[in-house]
Amino acid sequence: MSVLMISLLFALLGAILFTLIGLVSGTDETAIMVPFTLLVILLGAPPEAVLSFFMAAVLAKHLTHAIPTALMGIPGDTTAVPLIDHASSLRRLGVPHVALRKMLSGGLLGAFIALPTAVLFGQFLGQFADFFKSASGLIFTLAAVLIAYFSKGKWVSIAMIIPFAFFIKSLDQFSFQIVEKHLSISFFLGIAIGPMFYDLLLSLSSSGRASLVRTKPKEYHLAPEIRAWKGFFPNPFRVLTGRQAAHTSVTSFISSLTFAFSPVGMTSLMGEIVGSRNKGVYKKSTSSLAAMNGVTESTYIAEAIIPLLAFGIPLSPVALGPAAPLFNAPPVFTSDPVNNLHNLLTPWDFFLYGLIGLVVAAIIAYPFAMNYARTATVFVMKNISQEAIVGMFVGLACLLAFHEAQLVGVILTLTMATVGGLINRVLGVGAGVQFMIFYGAGYMMTNLLGA
Amino acid sequence: METKVASTEKQTGKSNETYLEVLGDTVVPSSILLSVVISMTFSIGGYFVGKSIFPSIAEPKMVASYSLLLGIAGSVLALILCAKLFKPSRILKEEESSVESFQEILRDMQVDAKEEYQLIVNDPVTRKEMEELGILDTFKKSGVQSDK
Repeated sequence: MSVLMISLLFALLGAILFTLIGLVSGTDETAIMVPFTLLVILLGAPPEAVLSFFMAAVLAKHLTHAIPTALMGIPGDTTAVPLIDHASSLRRLGVPHVALRKMLSGGLLGAFIALPTAVLFGQFLGQFADFFKSASGLIFTLAAVLIAYFSKGKWVSIAMIIPFAFFIKSLDQFSFQIVEKHLSISFFLGIAIGPMFYDLLLSLSSSGRASLVRTKPKEYHLAPEIRAWKGFFPNPFRVLTGRQAAHTSVTSFISSLTFAFSPVGMTSLMGEIVGSRNKGVYKKSTSSLAAMNGVTESTYIAEAIIPLLAFGIPLSPVALGPAAPLFNAPPVFTSDPVNNLHNLLTPWDFFLYGLIGLVVAAIIAYPFAMNYARTATVFVMKNISQEAIVGMFVGLACLLAFHEAQLVGVILTLTMATVGGLINRVLGVGAGVQFMIFYGAGYMMTNLLGA
Repeated sequence: METKVASTEKQTGKSNETYLEVLGDTVVPSSILLSVVISMTFSIGGYFVGKSIFPSIAEPKMVASYSLLLGIAGSVLALILCAKLFKPSRILKEEESSVESFQEILRDMQVDAKEEYQLIVNDPVTRKEMEELGILDTFKKSGVQSDK
C-alpha cells in the first residue's frame, strides 16, 4: 500500500475516533491525545501517516468539542474555557445552535489558515535549528522556568523545578538499573494521566475523599435544537458574515505565528480584541466565538508543526502536551538526538500530509457536528458512563507503559501519575511544566550535581 | 422553617447513594474502581495473550505490535463492557427555549434591550442573518416592549 493511502486511512481513523471522543465533555486533551498518538506510532505507522492522524484528530476533536460548549455550557476541553461566557450568553438567549454554527465555521477556517502559515514560518525558523538543537538542554531549562511562571502555581512551580527534576532523574536511574534502557513513554503517560489519577486516589483516601463527595448526580442542561439550514455541508463562508470571516482569518493568522504562547491565553486575548470591535450582545458573542474557535484551532496546529518542522525539539505548550509523542516516542522517534518527523519529512510533506488530515477531518467532523450535534450528545450522555471512560484511559496508559518496560513501566507510570497529579492539582504545577522539567532534567542534574 | 430544611436534608440523605466527582463528572465509587480494574485486566490481558499466541503465527518483529493491537482491542472491549455494566450517573435536563423571560435575561446580562435591538436593526448584515434564522422577532419584541 502506498504511503498516501496509509495516510488517508490513518486520517480517517483519527477523524472518526476523535469525532466521537470530542462529544465527551471536559476531557483533558493531553491525557487523550498522548496515548492514542503513541499507539499509532508504536504500531509502526509511517511518519507521514502519523502526521495525518494527528492533524485529523486535532481538528475533529476540536470541532465536536464545540457541541458540549455550545449546547450545554460546559467546556469541551481546556481550550474551550475562554469561549464559555459568549457561548452561554447565546444559549440563554435561546440561540445555542447559532453559537455552534459560528464556532464550527470559525474552527474550520482557522485550521486551513494555520497549516500553510505554520509550514512557511517553520521553514523560516529552521535556519536557526542548529543553535536550538545544540543548546536544547539549556533551552528546556529556561523554558521550564518561563512556563512555570505562567502556570497556575507560579512561584511554587518554579520552586518545584529542581526537586521534580531530581525525582525524575532518580526514577530514571533506578529503572535503568533494572531494564537497562532509559524510559520516556512511561514518564509521559504518568504526567498525562496525573490529574485523572489524582481524583481516583483521592476517592480512595478516607481523609481526602470528602472533597469529591456529591449527594446527587451532576445535572446537565441540554438546549433544544432548532435546525435552520438546508443541506448536509453548510458553507462556512455563508455561516459567517464577511466581517466575521475576516476577523477569524486575521486572528488565526496572527496566532499561527505566536507558537510559544499558551493556546488558552491566545484564545482569550484574540477573543477580547474581536469582542471589543463589535457592538451588541448577539454580534459580539457570535463574532468572538467564531474568531476564538479559529484561534484555538490555529494555535494547536501551529504549535505542533512549527517546532517540529523547525527544530525537532518540543518548544511550545502543545508540543509538550498533546503533540509530545510526535517528538519523542522511543524507539521510533527521539528528540535527543533528533530523529522524528523533523528529519523524516520535508516541509512539503508537512503541508501535504497535514492537509490530508485536515481535509478528512473536515469532511467527517464538520457535517457530523452541524447535523447530529444534539442526537449524538444525548446518546453519549445516556449510554457512556464516566466510569467506563476513566477506566479505559487508565487501562490504555498501563498497556503502553507495560509495552515499554513491563511491570517497571507500569509502576513508573503510576508513581509519576501520583506525584505529577498531586503537584498538578494541589500546587498548580501544570502538565506542560512537568513535561519541560522532564526534558531538562538531564541537563539540570548534570550541571548542578555533576551526575 | 427549620423543620422544612431538616426534612429536605433527610430526604436527600436517604433517597440515594453518594457520588464522587472524577474529572468533572459524577461517578459511583464502587463502579469506578471496578471499571479501572476491568480495563487494566482486559488491556494488559490482551497484550499477554498476544505475546503468547503471535510468536507461532506472525513474524518475530511484528509480535510486539500485534500484541499491542490485541491489548487495545481489550481496552475497547472493557469500555463497552463497563458502559453496559455501569450506567451513567448524570441527570440530563432538556431545556425549553424560553425558561426565563427574554427581557429578564438581557437585563441580567446588563444589556439594554432597546439598544441591542437598535444595534441589530442598524446593521444590515446582522439583521439579514437573524431574519434568515428566524430569531429577529424575539429580539424585536423585547426591544419594542422596553420602548413603551
